[in-house]
Amino acid sequence: MDRLRIALPKGRSLSATLGFLAQAGYDFRESVQHSRRLLVLDGAGKLEAVFVKPKDVPVFVEYGAADLGIVGTDVLREVERDVYEPLLLPFGYCRLSVAAPADRPDIPLRWEPSPRVATSYPNLTYRFFQERGVSPEIILLSGSVELSPLVGLADLLVDMVETGRTLRENGLVELRTILHSQAELIANRASYVLKSEAMAALIDDLRRVVARVGASDAV
Amino acid sequence: MNHRKLVPGELPPGVADLFAQRAEQKLALEALLRDCFSRWGYQPVIPPTFEYAETLASEAGVRLAEEMYRFFDRDGRALALRPDLTIPTARIAGVKLFDQPLPLRFHYVGSVFRYEEPRAGKRREFTQAGVELIGASKPLADAEVIALLVDALRRAGLAQFRVRLGQIGFFRGLLAVLPSAGDLAERLRVAVDRKSQAGVEAVAGELEDARLRETVVALPTLVGGGEVLPVAERLALNQEMRAAVENLHSVWGRLQQYGVTQSIMLDLGQVRGMAYYTGVLFEVFAPGVGFPLAGGGRYDRLVGHFGPDRPAVGFALTVERLLAALEHQDNVPGTHAVDVVFQACDHVACLAMVQQAREWGAHVMVDLADRGAEDLIAYARSQGIPRVALCEGAGRVRLIVGAETRLVDAAGWESEVRSWIG
Repeated sequence: MDRLRIALPKGRSLSATLGFLAQAGYDFRESVQHSRRLLVLDGAGKLEAVFVKPKDVPVFVEYGAADLGIVGTDVLREVERDVYEPLLLPFGYCRLSVAAPADRPDIPLRWEPSPRVATSYPNLTYRFFQERGVSPEIILLSGSVELSPLVGLADLLVDMVETGRTLRENGLVELRTILHSQAELIANRASYVLKSEAMAALIDDLRRVVARVGASDAV
Repeated sequence: MNHRKLVPGELPPGVADLFAQRAEQKLALEALLRDCFSRWGYQPVIPPTFEYAETLASEAGVRLAEEMYRFFDRDGRALALRPDLTIPTARIAGVKLFDQPLPLRFHYVGSVFRYEEPRAGKRREFTQAGVELIGASKPLADAEVIALLVDALRRAGLAQFRVRLGQIGFFRGLLAVLPSAGDLAERLRVAVDRKSQAGVEAVAGELEDARLRETVVALPTLVGGGEVLPVAERLALNQEMRAAVENLHSVWGRLQQYGVTQSIMLDLGQVRGMAYYTGVLFEVFAPGVGFPLAGGGRYDRLVGHFGPDRPAVGFALTVERLLAALEHQDNVPGTHAVDVVFQACDHVACLAMVQQAREWGAHVMVDLADRGAEDLIAYARSQGIPRVALCEGAGRVRLIVGAETRLVDAAGWESEVRSWIG
């Protein structure tokens, strides 16, 4: 049977991702530390990983360049790729929120005529405002989104919030939550059919850890 | 609107040029597929490339209507390029062949046009090769079409592939017992389509009935071989669901007789195309191509739109994707390129040799660029032409094959040429 390949997100959530996979018996921590290779094998040689930007994870998986991927719900809904989503994973919890300077007049968002909204999630942001009958002017940024209202670049911002500390420290308040996000396992539709046995075994391994973590959370 | 000046010869997105070897490979594959379809008794059908938009976008074809390329005739009627070949074939069956003995069996190979974002393996013009079996509703008809698809893929040289086979009646029956409150049905469809365990569990959490909950949660897991069928039977909640499982059971049995079940995976969570399909539905996947190579199923409501109601089943495979899959498996159909390039000369006897070789089936090219011997050999090498024929007087050529050289005259010509083409 072919070895499966998984696309993992570089950056913030990588250590949580690697920790989770290690619990399931797929340990990449050693190989990641000691190598700069782009394709790495886990300690047991059962699974191959590629490390890509979070937004690219669904792309690699949709095209079948990776059979599986781990990515947040936020990214998954933003990029809208045609992939399977078999399993929610118990980490990477955060939320996509609309925020504004604390001194914004207290009016409903749907009364905004055409707000300038800074975000790195243009699709979700656009849809959120459209659903409220508002046509926003989206300012697409790839980082430092919180900065934009402070320097007059935007009226509002839409960004991922974990604790809300960054917002508070910059005099911003959360107005609405657009969606709740957590890590998810995604799978290529063709691989799911072609490598169904290997894929089912791997999903089972991960599901066992999810159940264990869920149980310990409840305690 | 983007009115950037076009680079001369620029192509619009989603279309492609094929030439020389790639074009030959595609044509060879198409010929092979046509031959296979013919062996199963499917006759060719060649519908027009464009028709009235209204015809193509008829009710039953609504899934494709949004993606059609539309334009206007001079009298103001809306026309459209065909988005598939099933609708025109159904039209022909309904409007013209309604009084013919059933079933009708047709095959086609042709371009179709869809206005889609050219990403994830989607193109705006691509080639479909497929069959339609019209006027037969038995499981044996479903099995015939699926077995034919497997045969076609094998004949094309595709060693590894898998068919994912479902039955839409199972899910449709489930929807009938689902409380109609809110967007429950749509949420369930999306969750099942994404194989999202969390998604089906969320829907199940809102349901009162324990048996219904059990079936909903199991939907993404009804995947595998024949062992899936008894499980699905146990989970069926009404007549429609039971009938779907029973139908799939019969089709599976027939497919076992055809000896193709090792290439097939059952999946009762296959819900894409629900508005269109009425029974079995299937997709084909192969390594190296992340998207389905082929898709099809039973569509009993389409033909009736153009004539008397007729059950029908068929499939279409995307030739470009099949080529990509064959390339991935290093098994692109062989092509018969040029066998020999002749140096041009004034001898009637030499020209006669050229014409004879063509008559016997060789692919012969005459150099028109007045190349000398050395240049011509270099040219042949660069073009992958295995032989060079240099003029050695009337009706005599020096044949250069790799490092070998031999003189051939009219007497030895026929056996020489026939040895190339086997």
